[in-house]
Amino acid sequence: MNALEIKNLTKSFPDFSLDHLSLTLPSGCVMGLIGENGAGKSTTIRLILGMLHQDAGTITILGRDNHENIRLTKEEVGVVLDEVGLPECLNTRQVGKVMAGTFRNWNQQEYDRILEKFNLPQGKPFKTFSRGMKMKLGIAVAMSHGAKLLLLDEPTGGLDPVVRDEVVEMFSDFTRDENHSILISSHIVSDLEKLCDYIAFLHKGKLLLCEEKDQLLAEYGMLHCAAHQLEAIDPDAVIYRKSSPYGVQAIVKRQAVPDGLPLSPISIEELFVFMVKEER
Amino acid sequence: MKGLLLKDFYMAAKYCRTYILIGIVFIAVSFAGTSGENMFFVFYPCLLCGMIPVNLLAYDERSRWLEYSGTLPYTKAQIVSGKYLVGIIVQGAMLIAVGIAQAARMNLAGSFQFGDFALFMATIFAMATITSSITLPFMFRWGVEKGRIAYYCMIGFVCAAGYLGSVFFTGGTQLAVSRGVLMALLCLAGAGVYAISWFASIAMYQKREVA
Repeated sequence: MNALEIKNLTKSFPDFSLDHLSLTLPSGCVMGLIGENGAGKSTTIRLILGMLHQDAGTITILGRDNHENIRLTKEEVGVVLDEVGLPECLNTRQVGKVMAGTFRNWNQQEYDRILEKFNLPQGKPFKTFSRGMKMKLGIAVAMSHGAKLLLLDEPTGGLDPVVRDEVVEMFSDFTRDENHSILISSHIVSDLEKLCDYIAFLHKGKLLLCEEKDQLLAEYGMLHCAAHQLEAIDPDAVIYRKSSPYGVQAIVKRQAVPDGLPLSPISIEELFVFMVKEER
Repeated sequence: MKGLLLKDFYMAAKYCRTYILIGIVFIAVSFAGTSGENMFFVFYPCLLCGMIPVNLLAYDERSRWLEYSGTLPYTKAQIVSGKYLVGIIVQGAMLIAVGIAQAARMNLAGSFQFGDFALFMATIFAMATITSSITLPFMFRWGVEKGRIAYYCMIGFVCAAGYLGSVFFTGGTQLAVSRGVLMALLCLAGAGVYAISWFASIAMYQKREVA
C-alpha cells in the first residue's frame, strides 16, 4: 500500500499556484520535498491535511481519500509544521495531558522518553523555549501517538547540528517499521540526503522531478571538460552547463558521457541548485 | 474534544484569572448597596465572562494554535464548539455566582421576590450571551483583527438602529406582556442567539483556510 498518493493536485492563490502535482510515497519509505522558499512545499503539506481547500486533484492518505473521515486519518498522521503552534502558556506536562485527550493512541511513556532524550524541561512554559526546543516538542508530540505517516515541514530548522543528527536518526528509526513513512520538506538538503529514499524537487509550484535518491545519484554526474568535448554529448543529456575560461562544468546524464571524460559524483543539493538555475 | 477543552481551561486559568477576580470583587461591591444603583456591578462580571472565549480565540491565533489544530484529529466543528462550550461553562458559573449574590442581597434588603429574581437572572443571561455571540462568528471567519472591526461595525449598527428606533417611537410603547412571558422571551432570545451564533461560526470556520 502507498502511504500517500497525490494526483494532479492544484491550488491557486493570487500570486502563486501549485500546478498539477502528482507524487506517490510507498509505505516504509521517506520522501524529501526540496524547493526554494515559496516553491509550494508547505502548501502541499497543508493541502494533504485539508487545512487548505484544493482546487483540483485527489489525495489519498494511508489508503483513504483525504476528504473522507480526515479525523480518523489524522489519528495516524504525525505532523510538525515549520512553526509549532502550541499555546505559549502550556508546559510540556500540560501539552502531554492535552494530547492524551486528543489522540486515541497517545503513548505517554514514549512522550516522556522523547522529552528526556531531548532534555526538554517539564515545568517551563512553551513561550520560554528556543526555536530548537519548540521544534523538539513538536517532534515529541508527532512521534508519541502511534503515527504511521509523518508529515514534516522543515522539522530540523533551528536545531543545532548535533540535535539535527539525533532527530534525523529518530526519523530513520521510525521508518524501520515497513508500515511507517515520512514526507519531509527541508532547506537542509544534507539532512534529506541522509534520510530519504525518494527525492522530489519543487520549483514555483511545479514538480521538476521525483525519483529514487540512489537512482538520481547514479543517473547524474558532474562533468568538467573543454567546451568542444561537451558539444559532442547529446544536448538532451545536459541538465546544466556553466562556462569559464578554464573549461565547462556541466551536470549530465552519466549514460551519455563517453568513457575517458572526467565525471565526478554529484550531491542532491548541487543537482537541485543547478536544475533550478536551468529552469530560470 | 476533551483535549481542546483542557487546553482552553489551562489558558483561561493563565490569561483570564483577572476576569474571575474582577467578577468576585464586583459581586462583593454590589453588596455595598441594596437598591438598583449597584446593578452595574452585578451585570458586568457576566459580560466580562462572555469575553473569555473571544480572548482565548485571540490567544489561539497569536500562538498559531488554529493552524496547528488543523493537523490534529479534530473537525472544524469541534474546534468551534470547544469555544462555545467554554463560554457556557464560564458564563454559567458566573451566572450562578451572581445569582447567589443577588438572592442574598435581596434577602438582606428584605425585598426578595422570586418573580423579580427570575426576571433579573433571565436579563443578565440574555445580556451575557450577546457579547460572544456577536463577536465569535466574525472572528472564526476572518480572524481576530478583522473580526473585531466587524464587531465594532455591528455595535455601531445596533446603536444607530436604537437611535432611529427612539426617534420613530418617541411616545414610548408599553409592552403588554406578563413578567413570565418576558422572562421566557429573554431566556429564549439569549439561548437562541447563542445557538445561531454557534452554527454560524461552524459554517464560517468551515470556509476559512487556516494556514
